[in-house]
Amino acid sequence: MNQLAIPLERHCLDNGLKIVLSQDNTVPIVAVNIWYGVGSRNELPGHTGFAHLFEHMMFQGSKHVPKNKHFELIERAGGTLNATTWFDRTNYFETVPSRDLELALWLESDRMGWMLPAMDQEKLDNQRDVVKNEKSQRYDNQPYGDWDQRLQALMYPKDHPYHHPVIGSVEDLDAATLEDVAEFFGTYYVPNNAVLTIAGDFDQSQVMDLVQRYFGEIEAGAPIPPLPGDSCLEPIIGSTVREHVLAEVPLARVIMGFRIPPYSSEDFAVAEVSRALLGMGRASRLYRALVRERRVAKGVVTYAFPLLTDASMLLAWATGYPDSTPEELEMALTEEIEALVEAKQSEVDRAIALTETDLVRALEQVGERANLLSMFDLYFDDPDRLNHELDRLRAVTVDQIRDFAASQLGSDNRAVLVYEPKRDS
Amino acid sequence: MSLLDRTQPPGSGEFRQFDFPEVQTGALPNGLDLKICVLPRLPIVSVNLFLRAGEGSLAEGRAGTAVLTGDALEGGTLKRSGSSLAEALEGIGARLGVSTGWEGTNIAVSVLADRLPEAFSLLAEVVLEPDFPSIEVDRAREQQLADIRQRSMDPSALASDEVSRRFYAEGLPYARPQVGTEASISSVTRDQIRGYAEACYRPGSGGLIIVGDVDPDQIRSLSGEYFGSWIGSPSSVDDFHVNAQTRERRVWILDRPGSVQSELRVGHVGVARTTPNYLPLSIGNLLLGGTFTSRLNLNLRERNGFTYGVRSRFSFRSQPGPFQVSTAVGNEVTAPALREILSELESLVVDGARREEVDAARDYAAGVFGLHLETAGQIASRLNQIVVYGLPDDYYHLHRDNIRAVSTEQVTSAVKEHIRPEEVQVIIVGDAERIVGSVDALGLGPLEVV
Repeated sequence: MNQLAIPLERHCLDNGLKIVLSQDNTVPIVAVNIWYGVGSRNELPGHTGFAHLFEHMMFQGSKHVPKNKHFELIERAGGTLNATTWFDRTNYFETVPSRDLELALWLESDRMGWMLPAMDQEKLDNQRDVVKNEKSQRYDNQPYGDWDQRLQALMYPKDHPYHHPVIGSVEDLDAATLEDVAEFFGTYYVPNNAVLTIAGDFDQSQVMDLVQRYFGEIEAGAPIPPLPGDSCLEPIIGSTVREHVLAEVPLARVIMGFRIPPYSSEDFAVAEVSRALLGMGRASRLYRALVRERRVAKGVVTYAFPLLTDASMLLAWATGYPDSTPEELEMALTEEIEALVEAKQSEVDRAIALTETDLVRALEQVGERANLLSMFDLYFDDPDRLNHELDRLRAVTVDQIRDFAASQLGSDNRAVLVYEPKRDS
Repeated sequence: MSLLDRTQPPGSGEFRQFDFPEVQTGALPNGLDLKICVLPRLPIVSVNLFLRAGEGSLAEGRAGTAVLTGDALEGGTLKRSGSSLAEALEGIGARLGVSTGWEGTNIAVSVLADRLPEAFSLLAEVVLEPDFPSIEVDRAREQQLADIRQRSMDPSALASDEVSRRFYAEGLPYARPQVGTEASISSVTRDQIRGYAEACYRPGSGGLIIVGDVDPDQIRSLSGEYFGSWIGSPSSVDDFHVNAQTRERRVWILDRPGSVQSELRVGHVGVARTTPNYLPLSIGNLLLGGTFTSRLNLNLRERNGFTYGVRSRFSFRSQPGPFQVSTAVGNEVTAPALREILSELESLVVDGARREEVDAARDYAAGVFGLHLETAGQIASRLNQIVVYGLPDDYYHLHRDNIRAVSTEQVTSAVKEHIRPEEVQVIIVGDAERIVGSVDALGLGPLEVV
């Protein structure tokens, strides 16, 4: 495939808000997407889960937008919206018919500039309950629901920003106050800590006037404080660390984590392609070996987390059959991951071909375009990286993958989390 | 001080007319519908082959066979093993996915436009020359059995299965899980899988849909070349009629000791996709529980903080699928949440829909329709609906106007006809000991802990 050519244009307002514009008039819809440079890694001890709770509060109204009006107006326009909180960032986004671009800008700017006047204890208590229900539904009441919390604790030391889960603890959520909401807002939800991307159908000659009109008068904040905790970390764990959990789960599951270079490092591309060789598609090593040939696992999952601070994580998990033992799953995973030192060029070619298809499919949606452009701008100050993403991956050589497997995927850098079904006696 | 008057939301700009893209329709001599839609925006193509091989036409003892056959399809062809097939597909960056439902089996391929001819050839090989090697069938069966075991410990899956079991009369296809049961899957043999594919993977009343950066002439020629000599019609048809298990309101608690939440499902047998009330009912459902600002979500989540979210839904199938409200709530608020759900259902059918809610839901439906016309996959799945449910070819071209024409009176009359609070089955998956007293005290109907 030829070079991607997603058009884009960059601007910056006086208050520090960065803007990315990417026009495509094919379908009369437009995506508005804001990334704030704050996530769970910014949370102080005793305040875990706060970034995510705060994300919920951002939908509770602002000075000129009553509670629930944000949802009501966007839905009325025929739009969709949501927000997500992660380790390094929080994003807010809506896709609307293009004639309602201004509505989306009004809503996003009102909560960026005028959120606090609308906050009260009742809203905080209500959303705290909603978040606790979210935690119950998605984590506590689900088999394996606590895996990420356990794996993070195994892979990162106690005072590292990635040690605790994004959802946080109930105790910390209970302790959150309105003063915390105000302080968090004043510190992080400032234009100089955000990227606004508009992608899709808009009028190129008017769009910056609109952005200036709605966001221009929001005052810049102070510089963003450094990350809390100790973010000094060795590039590898140094040994095999493990946790064995006897739990109410239907099938044995072994989850392995490896520290890898952070997303901000040139070497992350090697980890990404290595991950694809291991687990992307049905011709991947783990699917072929564990699922198709050895038949010890009913399924495998792999993922290279794109995390920014110190070290990221490469994850591989295998879920067994009713009669699989965790030991055989772990052994099979270990052997196949270590065998990546013999990676072949044909596997790299296959991984790149699938990655191309997946990226083009993602870019069919203006919402996804906007999201990626915001990310590349916030993380790397380079939204055009989207157009060069494939080149970065294509440049990875088979030798680099072999070296990566030898240096990063061995027993001196392995976290093993084992879930074993509790057998009823 | 703000320089701009922010007190009122800005009005909408000018409406830009946008139609569902042009579709070239036709059929191969073997009866396979052919629909081609050119979207030149990005060099990607979505190919979707729909075959009338669905779970709805299987006898109870063979439940899950269509799903298993679909899953085993990637196990290899007469020309290559499962691994070689995966390498051939993924080597050209093609994503193959098979999904099986009540009405049929969908085999979908996404691929970059310049690799389409190779992908076409591989798709034909997979569908026309499957081998189903024993070892791959065994694996697919073991995977499906393991899925069934996983479902047995997942509160949401348990609740869905309980809905099927309690809503529908025993023995009906919709009364069982779509993936089948441990008993039905354990006994399926390789010969039965091959026989099923031989009999049901046939072009008659199926559809081949191609959307993306394509040349229609090339597509017609590829379709003829690879699928032209394929003949026959599926031997199975889903000709059952749906009956509810009961018209009496009842409460079922599926005991899951130690649950920190109760999974709730409240509803009854709904209505088929072909109902003339499809749009009014869809609009009615949006305002009841289909959007964030729906009655149910504003009540249970935003006013009471009982839940992370609550939805209502009509599953429109070829026969009446379930209508249900679904949510997960804390143990201590299980009874109050049920009371609120019932009261929202009752007030909707007693008082009807309000004009402003209908306006909002209708605007949402008309607007959001355009949001889902972006990708090749989205367009293909719409066209697939035309094939599956026999909708007119211009259905989606008229869709937005038809949505806009729905009146408040039509919505009210549709919800009164199709939502019946006095007949709902209340399904709870949770810690029975902790909730049974307060739920029973609601007096909703006979209660059974199972």
